[in-house]
Amino acid sequence: MTTDDIPLTPLEADDALAAEYVLGVLDMAERSAAEARMKHDSAFADRVAAWATRLADLDDAYPEVAAPEDMLPRIEARLFPVEPPPARRPLFGWLAGLATAAALVLVALALFPPAAPTARLVATLGEADAALRFEARFDGQALTVTRVAGSAAPAGQVQEIWIIAPDAAPVSLGLMPGESLAVPYPAAPTGWTLAVSVEPEGGSPTGVPTGPVVAAGVITDL
Amino acid sequence: MSEDPVADLIDRVARQDRAAFRELYSRTSAKLMGVLLRMLGQRAEAEEALQEVFTRVWLRAGRFDATKGRGMTWLIAIARNHAIDRLRARPDEAADAGPEALDQLRDASPGAEGRLIALGEAGRIADCFQTLEPDRAEAVRGAYLGGLSYADLAARHDVPLNTMRTWLRRSLLKLRECLDA
Repeated sequence: MTTDDIPLTPLEADDALAAEYVLGVLDMAERSAAEARMKHDSAFADRVAAWATRLADLDDAYPEVAAPEDMLPRIEARLFPVEPPPARRPLFGWLAGLATAAALVLVALALFPPAAPTARLVATLGEADAALRFEARFDGQALTVTRVAGSAAPAGQVQEIWIIAPDAAPVSLGLMPGESLAVPYPAAPTGWTLAVSVEPEGGSPTGVPTGPVVAAGVITDL
Repeated sequence: MSEDPVADLIDRVARQDRAAFRELYSRTSAKLMGVLLRMLGQRAEAEEALQEVFTRVWLRAGRFDATKGRGMTWLIAIARNHAIDRLRARPDEAADAGPEALDQLRDASPGAEGRLIALGEAGRIADCFQTLEPDRAEAVRGAYLGGLSYADLAARHDVPLNTMRTWLRRSLLKLRECLDA
């Protein structure tokens, strides 16, 4: 019991935090902070990975439970929609006003055709004259979202980038560390939506956008 | 290719191989469903979460690094993290953390943890749990398998939250010492 009273060294505390993250005992704010740290502190990310491996033996205790038979078709329908024309795509309930944004994106893309063939423009987030505007480019390996107008979120907040498959929940691509975020990505999925929301420092605590959506646009195959 | 067929499938999924995605699903969905059901305790929510998990697998497969761990470990981490995010986002998380509520909700009886041995808790971890005091080992298992938070664990073991945190952190470091030895 006496060892409980000795404070942990900084390295021990880091490792304990990595273990706590893997265990899942942290509250939402602490979890978000740990996830944010993993993105820029590779030593800490390695500690997390090492703990995931250490505790993986416990996974044997999870039973196998068959998923419903129609589950795979449902997932596939969500991920691989039959390609309709992007402009006619039905819109997503969580984001009002996207129809307008999408239409304006198409106009913007028609007016400003992509110049660089190595990283072609695949989406514009925000109207052409908006104070805050982002562009997404794809070079065959990575999707890069760049803020082309406006500034970063106010202190204590951060801009988070989301990708949304048709009729699916948004999935975070990451936080804007500066003016640009590059994410390794196999393709630019036509018809999917990119959106930027303002989240508390460390990113959305819930895994879905919690703050206001400040820009959005649909990925277009040009 | 490698000795980790799940990792090979994830690598193919990263290259947008839909057949590989289907095969990965058929190999791993029952396990991931088991993880989600165990942690979330509700079938409908677990099914919804499973869809979300496989969506993330498709989107994030490119970030999988086979040098950092096994494919199945990566998949279970995605499922567990998603379940934990859902649990922490539940509005009644703190209020309902009484032991009775937990037992009902998450099959959290001591018997449930005891089943571990029956299910063949593998490798060194079973031996290393022996080096911990029994209630602390149970806290580690309960957190990992059931997604219990510090608040849940403190209520369940009837100790202040900070005491639970000190216990658990010490136990984890001790566990590491044993596992890495």
